Amino acid sequence: MSARPLSTNPTRADMLAVLARWVLGGFFVYMGMQKAVHPEAFLKLVRQYELVGDPFLLNTIAACLPWFEVFCGLLLVAGVAVRGTALMLVLLLAPFTLVVVKRALAIAAAQGVAFWTVKFDCGCGAGEVLIWKKVLENSLFVLLSCWLLSGRGRPLSARFSLFGSDETESEIPELEAFNGAEKQFPSPLLSSDGRGRSDASRSANAEPP
Amino acid sequence: MRKVLLEGLAVAAAGAALAFAANALSPRGLTLTRNYFPNDTHLAANAQPGTNLLRPGPEANAGVPVTRLETQIRELGLRAADSNLVQQLFQDPRRDQDGIVFVDARDAEHYQAGHIPGAYQLDYYHKEDYLAAVLPACLAAQTVLVYCAGGACEDSLLTASVVLAPVVPKEKLFVYEGGFTEWTNNRLPVELGQRRSGRMLEAPR
Repeated sequence: MSARPLSTNPTRADMLAVLARWVLGGFFVYMGMQKAVHPEAFLKLVRQYELVGDPFLLNTIAACLPWFEVFCGLLLVAGVAVRGTALMLVLLLAPFTLVVVKRALAIAAAQGVAFWTVKFDCGCGAGEVLIWKKVLENSLFVLLSCWLLSGRGRPLSARFSLFGSDETESEIPELEAFNGAEKQFPSPLLSSDGRGRSDASRSANAEPP
Repeated sequence: MRKVLLEGLAVAAAGAALAFAANALSPRGLTLTRNYFPNDTHLAANAQPGTNLLRPGPEANAGVPVTRLETQIRELGLRAADSNLVQQLFQDPRRDQDGIVFVDARDAEHYQAGHIPGAYQLDYYHKEDYLAAVLPACLAAQTVLVYCAGGACEDSLLTASVVLAPVVPKEKLFVYEGGFTEWTNNRLPVELGQRRSGRMLEAPR
């Protein structure tokens, strides 16, 4: 595993993205474990959504989804394959939120209450929740995932990208801008190859004996 | 973008492999090929239009009492037991000699935290671990009463209809609809830990 060198100073946005990565990852590990230790309870909840009729598919969703969430959470916390993981989370969260909203609408209609006041166990791992809180939370997590998907959260990552170098300049806009400025206004301390410049420039500018 | 898609696929593949392995290794893992809800097909065939007897309705999680369980019990040819009948059975001296057997269909965690005194445990989702102890007692008993948490919980119905009914005559099988929640609400005795542990929960005053 290759860690990103600390030669590029992370911006405040980068550090916020790292925090988002840890929060999102920690959340998925916690929620995944809550379901993984009680798979039969999660099985019953998944069944209530009536998404699949086939027992094998139903069992597979209930048995594997929690562990998959834990895996994605750990990847985010460690900073491995961050964009691919963020993509997976968007693909999990977006349809799941729609399904939860659909069920909440059914409950609201059955009970004759306002949609936003509906409270039920959606199978998210946190027990009964108010639907507006769940929708807000999921929307926030989708946004955070999209942010990470854009390439943020690179500092303190074990292996940000699985394929290709972590330090590809074109993938880091700030670094690219920094390098552009460097070319335009050469640093008095560094040469273009990154080595100490003072000696080289001194020798180049030195008058011939 | 192509790299991100590839990375996503790699994460999905690795995550799926790990998830299958974790479920297989976990002592609480599900058996993927088992149909945990075989009653769904039977009840769906007999369901009246507009009524869903398969699952607790949307209100089930919102604390609204679900009374459809009794309909399902009858649909499956079993007998429902109300609170009075359960108390009669509990006080019947035949219970001490296992002439009347109580079966708790909840998981180990809930069973250990408290159950009807003398009740056998038979966790429907891990039945293989309990059948050797429970089945002989049920076969020998004159009456078998199965309960779970009550309310929207279907585990007692599933245990009675799927696990016990094929081997124990249905006339002997009762399902306690109110379940353990109703039992504790009535402030009846609760045993802690293992069966016949002798440790009783003190009733709240």
